[in-house]
Amino acid sequence: MTEKRSGVPPANFNGIARPGRGMAVVKPENMKGTLRRLWQLTKGQRKGFGWILLLSALASCAAVLSPYVTGSAVSAVSDGSGTVWVLACLAGLYISDWLVRFLQSFCMAAIGQRVIHHMRKTLFQRMKTLPLAFFDGHRHGEVMSRLTNDVDTVSSTISSSLTLFLTYGFTVLGIFGMMLCLSPFLTLVSLSGIVLVMLLTKIITKRTGKLFSKQQKSLGALNGQVEESISGLLLVKAFCREEEMERAFEEKNEALCRVSIKALICSGYLMPLMNVINNLLYVAISVLCGVLFVEGTISSIGLITSFLLYVRQFTRPFVEIANIYNHFQTAVAGAERIFEILDEQPEPADREDAISLRFPRGEIELRHVEFGYTPGRPVLKDISIKIPAGTKTAVVGATGSGKTTMINLLTRFYDVSGGSILLDGHDLRDYRLADLRKAFGTVLQDTALFAVSVRDNIAYGHPEAGREQVKQAAEAAGAAGFIERLPDGYDTILEQGGMELSQGERQLLTIARAVLANAPILILDEATSSVDTVTEQNIRRALLQICAGRTSVIIAHRLSTIRDSDLILLLEDGRIAEQGSHEELMEMDGLYARMYRTQVDFEG
Amino acid sequence: MKLIPKYIRRHLGIFLLSMFFLTMEAVADLLQPAFMSEIVDTGMQNASISQILFYGKAMLGIAVAGAVCAVARNHFASRVSQTIGRELRRDMYHNVQRLSMENIDRLRPASIMTRITNDVAQVQEFINGIMRIMVKAPIICIGAVILILIQTPEQSPVMAAVIFVVFLLILANMRIGYPRFGAVQKQVDRLNGVSGEFLSAVRVVKAFQAEEEEARKFEAVSLKLAHANMAALRTMAVFSPLINLVVNFGIVFLLWISGNAKSGEIGRLMASINYMTQVLFAVTMISNTMHTAVRAAASSDRIREVLDEKPTQHMPKEPLRPNIQGNIRLEHVSFAYAGAGREALHEISMHIHAGETIGIIGSTGSGKTTLVNLILRFYDSSAGKIWLDGCDITQIDPGLLRAAVGVVPQKALLFSGTIRENLLWGRANADGEELQAAAEIACADGFIRQSAQGYDTLLGQGGVNLSGGQKQRLCIARALVRKPRILILDDCTSALDARTEADVLRGLSRIADTMTVLLVSQRISTVMQADRILCLDDGRVKGCGTHGELMESCKTYQEIYHSQIGGGGYD
Repeated sequence: MTEKRSGVPPANFNGIARPGRGMAVVKPENMKGTLRRLWQLTKGQRKGFGWILLLSALASCAAVLSPYVTGSAVSAVSDGSGTVWVLACLAGLYISDWLVRFLQSFCMAAIGQRVIHHMRKTLFQRMKTLPLAFFDGHRHGEVMSRLTNDVDTVSSTISSSLTLFLTYGFTVLGIFGMMLCLSPFLTLVSLSGIVLVMLLTKIITKRTGKLFSKQQKSLGALNGQVEESISGLLLVKAFCREEEMERAFEEKNEALCRVSIKALICSGYLMPLMNVINNLLYVAISVLCGVLFVEGTISSIGLITSFLLYVRQFTRPFVEIANIYNHFQTAVAGAERIFEILDEQPEPADREDAISLRFPRGEIELRHVEFGYTPGRPVLKDISIKIPAGTKTAVVGATGSGKTTMINLLTRFYDVSGGSILLDGHDLRDYRLADLRKAFGTVLQDTALFAVSVRDNIAYGHPEAGREQVKQAAEAAGAAGFIERLPDGYDTILEQGGMELSQGERQLLTIARAVLANAPILILDEATSSVDTVTEQNIRRALLQICAGRTSVIIAHRLSTIRDSDLILLLEDGRIAEQGSHEELMEMDGLYARMYRTQVDFEG
Repeated sequence: MKLIPKYIRRHLGIFLLSMFFLTMEAVADLLQPAFMSEIVDTGMQNASISQILFYGKAMLGIAVAGAVCAVARNHFASRVSQTIGRELRRDMYHNVQRLSMENIDRLRPASIMTRITNDVAQVQEFINGIMRIMVKAPIICIGAVILILIQTPEQSPVMAAVIFVVFLLILANMRIGYPRFGAVQKQVDRLNGVSGEFLSAVRVVKAFQAEEEEARKFEAVSLKLAHANMAALRTMAVFSPLINLVVNFGIVFLLWISGNAKSGEIGRLMASINYMTQVLFAVTMISNTMHTAVRAAASSDRIREVLDEKPTQHMPKEPLRPNIQGNIRLEHVSFAYAGAGREALHEISMHIHAGETIGIIGSTGSGKTTLVNLILRFYDSSAGKIWLDGCDITQIDPGLLRAAVGVVPQKALLFSGTIRENLLWGRANADGEELQAAAEIACADGFIRQSAQGYDTLLGQGGVNLSGGQKQRLCIARALVRKPRILILDDCTSALDARTEADVLRGLSRIADTMTVLLVSQRISTVMQADRILCLDDGRVKGCGTHGELMESCKTYQEIYHSQIGGGGYD
């Protein structure tokens, strides 16, 4: 949005568009602390920072010297004396300027990107250790944009503002020095121009600042309207409110348009007015030079040329520095959002004396387990059961009775809020988390597949698995048939993350994944979504196959699959309502028996 | 990128005006040094202070004129860019309102929102800022050549050569840089893909201890992005300083020629040098804006996708406008969501009589909501037909159809505004008494009155200041205000406690005779009292009849019954 007429061209090292003067500045909460942390984040990546600093200084040196040498050259030309030398000097200066600029941008591209990559890496390293509660509690889009956009914008803006800051700082100082040397009197005149420019900037940005925050508000209102009406589009249609919605939208749209135009026009005064002042100064200096020259106070045309060139470059950086500072502040505020994630508590670390779990027997015991996702709203209440090693346990119950929550606790996605869960006689929290999760093979309700090959999906978590192993797992899960019919067999890439497969096929793949993991304890969350009967038979067979000889916990929605379980738990409202084998529960003639009879009656 | 010219053409007048002032501004910039050279060559050479002052004044005059032009240019350019932005947003929003739900599902609501807001902003900035730079640069270049040609023709070959070389460099820069910035964009998309995948599969990742694998994947893509960025930035690193160097060497050349020629017209030499620097700044801006151009191109493509999207549903040319009574007949209706492999509904046939209350029960994913969505014509059945009062539903004016239906959606959705405004959604001309009557049936009148402003209480976006149960009751009241022929209640009492639910259902049953009611629920206690109950499982009808009949004949229904009995409907 801003336009550069003179002065140092903006170094745009990181390819990020610097938003224009038209922006609402977001102030960071703790500038100093955030900067210090940012600096710490670059630890190990600082190789080359010194070079950038040096090159920035050199670049400003060239910027400072070149008007002087140009002036001398003009002077030499006008005298007709020794032009070649001066010109050689000038050419040399330009070449070194070129070299420095090239090196600076070239290094900056590498160093900047390395730092950004490192930051992203650090952020992801932290993200992967965060507990499930974090992911359940944050909107994915928001987290994603922090991982990708924020890191990029924040670090490039900060690094480019810093270098620009340096370059401009050096340049201003250098130019000021040179001007003083050339003519203290003319420098004084120029300074008055600077004061004018700064005053003007202050007056205009104060006004535009208000307009831009108004614009931000209008934009917020419009965004809110869009969000509300697009996500509720079904309702808008149902109540035939399309026209009203459009009218409301157009109202906000127009308001935004109007205030934006105002803000842009207002901020558009700054540059031309500054230019007028600049030109005024330029003219004043030109005229003064002319007068002084005629009077004989100045004898050198070269001095005039140099000084005029300096004047052109002098005012610009002052305004730029203020502008850069605003961007810098906004970027630091963005960095604070990144640190919010880095400050999240990771999953509790293993205790120092954590037990490693090599070959678990698979005996599970829940002792008075209590749990709720939010305090005061318990989902599981006082659950106590014992699951002997090598047995098959089924958990049944209505939606919301707490079945899935039990799995979340067993795999330590969440930790119990009361009581304890024991595996082979030790509290789950006493084991190393990595060992514990390895001990559990899980087939979860959401059949999450990745946009990689079928083979890699089956070998997920076990990249060392060989081709033969993957094939065996697929066969055991009854998935081999459809995989071989895919265009590239096991090497077919699931471009859409598995959405190109049917629900049943996706499920078979996740079962194959669990087969390959070959864990001593199995947890199966039987999917609710139904698949056709043939596939269902396949899945059932596959599950039976892999359960043999292991401790397994199955969340069942169809009672027929779990009849042969050693233990059936009927959850109701977060408590165990009935428990026992199928026969025992039938004998009890309670809720389970009623549910079962209705199914069997009809299955005939 | 064809989109932008199309919109500019609508404001061609103002656009050309801004271009005119831009040209004038550039001319003013270019004239400055010409007068400066007069000061040096005439004023100083002749030692005439009056001449110096005269040219000084002229320079000032030009500076002021230039500033006026700049302000005017900014004025018109802002107007054009902002108006185009507004029109883009309006046209997109307008089209989205007309799209079928299938289109919306495909485009995804979240994506539509960012397109309307962010992508338009991107294009706006492009029009406002970048175009100016791209237009100004050639003007400055041409102007500088002309002026040099007039003032110091012997220097014009140098100038022309410099501009030619710079032009070639910029062309090369674009040729090499553009695809590289395009590659960056692609890697950004991939990084988004990988992190999105991780976030949605985080449970599996943790269960399979695959955090390291995911981190490796992420780092690999992140590194690729870094490399792509580096490659793109390095093109800039090569070309930008090179362009600088060429222009600077032009200056050296000029000095050298002048030195040899001993022309003695120092002022003109200084002016030429000044032109050179002006050309330099104008062209460096161009290469700096490349990535913005790439992004604007991507944005304009995304905007066009929304603008070009055509509704998948066909609207009847001569719509029927029957007097809707609420007689619904489903004839072998099947439906599959676009892109989904299997059918959400399979061969549903049923006759619902006007005034009947039909309960629809089934587990999650059994097709209950899909069924009512078909009746509202949010989607069209893929096979079979739905008849409403003897008319094919696809032939009825959709506005008329929906005006006859009151729907309470599964997700209690309210809009920012007052409670009254929200209730008036039902019927714009309903009076206060009608609103209150509806609210009383929905058991909402009580809590509305308790809040400070009563019916004029302001709701935040989405009704954030209400509890889930309050929102559901307001949604019911909103539908009742409509006095619909068909009332669709889609699992809308889930957040109510058992007593309030019973109250609401009792209230509804009092007026149920006047309309066809479709009562969707997962809870058996909610639908038990219905005239007939449709039991769905996996998109198929498992049974249809009264509670008593289903208890005898329908296995699925009994299963649901037994899994819920005694619990009193915990959910």
